[in-house]
Amino acid sequence: MATRTAPAAPLSPAVFAILLSLAEGEKHGYHIMKDAISPQGGGVRLGPGTLYGSLDRMMRDGLVEESGVSDDERRRYYRLTSLGQSLLAVELERLDAAVASARTLGLLPQGGLS
Amino acid sequence: MTQSVLPTKWNERLYAAVLKLYPPPFRAAYSPAMFQTFRDALRDRTFSRKALISLVLRDLTNSLVKEHFAMLRETFSRPALLFNALVLTALATGLALALNTIPQQVLRLGANDPQIAMAGDLVARLEQGVSAAEAVPAGSVDLSRSLTPFLIAYDDQGRPLASQAQLNGKTPTPPSGVFDNVRQRGEARISWQPRRDVRIAAVIQRVNGPQPGFVLAGRNMREVESREALVGQLAGLTWIGMLGVILIGTSVFGWYTRPETAIQNTQTQ
Repeated sequence: MATRTAPAAPLSPAVFAILLSLAEGEKHGYHIMKDAISPQGGGVRLGPGTLYGSLDRMMRDGLVEESGVSDDERRRYYRLTSLGQSLLAVELERLDAAVASARTLGLLPQGGLS
Repeated sequence: MTQSVLPTKWNERLYAAVLKLYPPPFRAAYSPAMFQTFRDALRDRTFSRKALISLVLRDLTNSLVKEHFAMLRETFSRPALLFNALVLTALATGLALALNTIPQQVLRLGANDPQIAMAGDLVARLEQGVSAAEAVPAGSVDLSRSLTPFLIAYDDQGRPLASQAQLNGKTPTPPSGVFDNVRQRGEARISWQPRRDVRIAAVIQRVNGPQPGFVLAGRNMREVESREALVGQLAGLTWIGMLGVILIGTSVFGWYTRPETAIQNTQTQ
């Protein structure tokens, strides 16, 4: 088994969208796909191939895991691991710092985007 | 896929068929889940048909390429596998070089065989006091064409005394440095190129006694060089063949020992 190094911030849009979606709780593939494309999920267009390819690599990196619970044998549910939660927190802090910096520079309104 | 997930609509059948284009381990691990995700998207209607088709087409284009490259990378970019292939390639290259060099050396050394005896015999006769004109057999060998071995006798200054060989109507003479070398060592075995397109396997020996000088016995190397070229070609083909076997062997071994997907890995633990 080849050893892999867990990704560091900044994360790819797909990995970030999946981590963000699963931060709410365990979800199956289509649910993640819907979350990702929503504005709150980053508007990332994830097709099934990209989604499961990313999930496979994220499972190898120890960021997500299968929950083992399913309402259908073909619907796999995934959840964040503690490493995945930590990585998401690091990425959110990085993005938060970038947004704060953009506000300081006057690139964003102080009160946030309306 | 089990009976319950058999595709029923044309777009489901088409997507199920396209899933077969993914690498086998990825397909085995994820195609049922991918198919179910596609089916969920078709039924949920969050995505319009047009938007879903556009998304899936783009996804197929990107992820098919990505997963095949990932499979190749994970199959072949393992240090142990690459190290083994590198060692085998180095061994094959060394073997091919040996297959090229050793027979060529044997052929080249063998090219001196009749000349060594001819030169020795002529030196013995000259040292017995026989004149060069008598000792060198009559004959006229055209160096540029004939493969017949020939003899030339030179005086102590390297001027021809008697010769069986001609090149452009003259008796050829090696560079004076060759005679200096033979004067010191007694004999030299050289590849001599009296003209750009003529190479001679020459044995030059020192003549001592009352008529000091030199004897050159030579033979055109055209045939030997053609055999050397053949040996080089065979060694080159052997090398390419060995590299092909290493490539195929490494690919097959790499494929059968490839890393599993995360799902398969979890299931085997």
